[in-house]
Amino acid sequence: MNSTATAPAALQPSNWKELAGNFLVRHIMVVVMLLIVAFFAYRSARFATPDNLTNILIAAAPFALIALGQTLVILTGGIDLSVGSVMAASAMAAAWTAKNAGDNLLLPLMAAVVAGLLAGSINGFIVSQFGVPPFITTLGMLTLASGFAYVIGDGAPINGLPATFGSFANTQILGLTLPVILMIVAILSLAFIMKRTNYGLRVYAIGGNRLAAEIAGVRSRRILFSVYAISGLLAGLSGLMLASRVITGAPNLGQGYELDAIAAVVIGGASLMGGRGTVWGTAIGLLLIQTINNGLDLLLVPAYWQSVIKGVIIVAAVGVDVWAARRGRR
Amino acid sequence: MSTVRLDDSNQVVPMLECSGITMSFGGIPVLRGISFSLEPGTVTALAGENGAGKSTLMKIASGQYRPIDGTVQVRGQDLVSGNPQAAYELGVAIVPQELASIPEMMVYENLFIGREVKTRLGTLDRAAMVKAARGYLTEFGLETDPKTRMRDLPVGIRQIIEIIKATHRGARVLLLDEPTSAIAEREVARLATIVRSLRDQGVAILFTTHKMEEIRAMADRVVVLRDGTLVSDTPLADISDDGIVTAMIGRELDQLFPERPDASNDVVLEVKDLVITVGPTPINFTVRKGEILGLAGLVGAGRTELIECIYGIRKPHSGTVTLSGSVLKAGSPQDSIARNLAIVPEDRKGAGAILSMSILDNATLPRIAAFSRFGVLSRRKRRSAISEVMKSMRLKSNGLDQNLENLSGGNQQKVVFGRWLTGQVDALLLDEPTRGVDVGARSEIYRIITELSAAGMAVIMASSDMPEILSLSHRALVMRETGVVGELDRNQLDSPDVQDTIFRLASGLQAEPLKDNTP
Repeated sequence: MNSTATAPAALQPSNWKELAGNFLVRHIMVVVMLLIVAFFAYRSARFATPDNLTNILIAAAPFALIALGQTLVILTGGIDLSVGSVMAASAMAAAWTAKNAGDNLLLPLMAAVVAGLLAGSINGFIVSQFGVPPFITTLGMLTLASGFAYVIGDGAPINGLPATFGSFANTQILGLTLPVILMIVAILSLAFIMKRTNYGLRVYAIGGNRLAAEIAGVRSRRILFSVYAISGLLAGLSGLMLASRVITGAPNLGQGYELDAIAAVVIGGASLMGGRGTVWGTAIGLLLIQTINNGLDLLLVPAYWQSVIKGVIIVAAVGVDVWAARRGRR
Repeated sequence: MSTVRLDDSNQVVPMLECSGITMSFGGIPVLRGISFSLEPGTVTALAGENGAGKSTLMKIASGQYRPIDGTVQVRGQDLVSGNPQAAYELGVAIVPQELASIPEMMVYENLFIGREVKTRLGTLDRAAMVKAARGYLTEFGLETDPKTRMRDLPVGIRQIIEIIKATHRGARVLLLDEPTSAIAEREVARLATIVRSLRDQGVAILFTTHKMEEIRAMADRVVVLRDGTLVSDTPLADISDDGIVTAMIGRELDQLFPERPDASNDVVLEVKDLVITVGPTPINFTVRKGEILGLAGLVGAGRTELIECIYGIRKPHSGTVTLSGSVLKAGSPQDSIARNLAIVPEDRKGAGAILSMSILDNATLPRIAAFSRFGVLSRRKRRSAISEVMKSMRLKSNGLDQNLENLSGGNQQKVVFGRWLTGQVDALLLDEPTRGVDVGARSEIYRIITELSAAGMAVIMASSDMPEILSLSHRALVMRETGVVGELDRNQLDSPDVQDTIFRLASGLQAEPLKDNTP
């Protein structure tokens, strides 16, 4: 109630326990992450090796891009359910182009980017201009894009692509593959954008209170449009990387990825109501999910059980976060 | 349920008696030894500013909170505190500020919830309930169909239905928490009638308020709280309006409002032939440099809509707004901001503050271009500018990174206000600038408004708070049905019958105003 009265109390040395507690509570997800890493490192000798850590990063990369796009959308209070199928449609568009354009790298890249951007822009246009709820809009796009993915390949995967198609995912620079570099660049630049630019502040503002943001001069429709477009674009790139890794365009690629992406954002502490969440949180969330996937694989846990365990961990992690937030608020 | 009968013996047993109620939250005292009693067939106003402890006292009297010290007795029986059910059994009912009705259910279902009428087979006897409900509604002068969904009714009617629900279950003590805060003026009159008829049936009524008109219209007696202390408990006839206000705020009203320097003659803002929606005569007025123009009127008169049209949140049907010589683009807040127009909206939480963001970010938003280069925010520039403004606003916070949700209403309002002052403001639109703001912060906001106008800003201020209009403005417009129906200059604002004049203009009635309450 009275801020001036409580502030000095927190600085007293007798409260150091409370301060440490506060720190833990505020960064609870980092703590959870460390515990999980410690557990796997203890149980599996192969877990904490550089090779395996690289594997985690490689697996995380395509998934990171859509989780980042999802973060922006969720920050505005929306949701993008279509990213998984947009990945598939973009991958198919890229594969089709690669098959027909021969040994060209630029054209497949363009095809994936354009397909993703187009799908995202349609989402953004419908949500921002017509006010259709994002859940519905992107649910429609999920079905539509998935349909297109099959249409492009005539119901079958596109095989026999030129070997250069694999260079998107398999080129290494400084010992890191291109997708991992792209992931790191995307995390760093989005973290900067969200924290330090006008655009980032406006995204938070319309998620926090759209009317108040508009009154303060934010053109909310443009911002809303942009987050879906970005999400689509990143899904397009993500689809390209997945297809490139196996040099095949598969119409069912990326299926269900949207749910993992949403889980990563929520584990990262974002509110589905909008206005709260950070890019770093999402990064932690997605590393957490990838670490669990990887660790359970190493422990030879059967796939179906992995799914069960992951489900429990996701809910538990968010539960702990909600509990910590409630404690922190008191 | 309630079996206690009123006996007509000479000795009146108090319906509700609070003695020595003391309460604190987190070590901060909220109520200090409050004692008072309610007699049957009386209406008592519990007056006090926001934060005086009214709602807490209500919650203790209805058994929701357990006081640290003191007792509550209902008709001589001790109320087991911390047990609302027990209070209810003893006949104490509370109608909270945020109504507890179920919007998706029908009126009669709401009335009978928890004590449904059943048929012999044990199924719901809807016909019987509808019939009984219709009886209750008629008794209270409502023509509402009991089969209307609650959410389709105006708040005022819903509130009366809550009162019916409470009293037809045998409540003898009725506690109304801020009963008029959300309802239209016309509905206040109806509420007053109902309260009086319940009083005549012997119910003891206690209602909280901070509005003078309501105290005059409904109460027989007024109990004033200030900072958790009971400062006055008198029959209404024995205390003047000024006396009540002085008791509420702890000083003379005049001291609340600063001196008002004269306005200049240069016109800053001109509203020309503005029609909000198709309707009455177009609105025309000008505001001069350094002038505070008050907008008075009843709820729904169109004050908020007018302000929204000027600022560009709403597109008017026709007409223009000119600011410093150039016409503002209709429906464009961006254009208004670029031309140094600022707004403090009525609904602070809904339209002003972004609660999940920090003070710094909230204050950055309207002037974002000034704090950034190539779209990148400059850290130092905005921090220093905003911290300076917030210091001049005397904002109380733990630093600029504190989220608005953790500030008090008054401090939130200072942020919503102060965020404009990092740049030039030529005209300022204020919509209920002190709603939900405690009295301390209120006088500071008055000081700021006056200082800004003295520095040359043109101010338009819509307010339902009569003293605010009367004491702050250089001139006032009265609105009714989205049109301007009267203009009062400073001399008229100083005349003793100005409140009546404004009320008559605002209500469009030539009848006696609400103030008159001979039973």
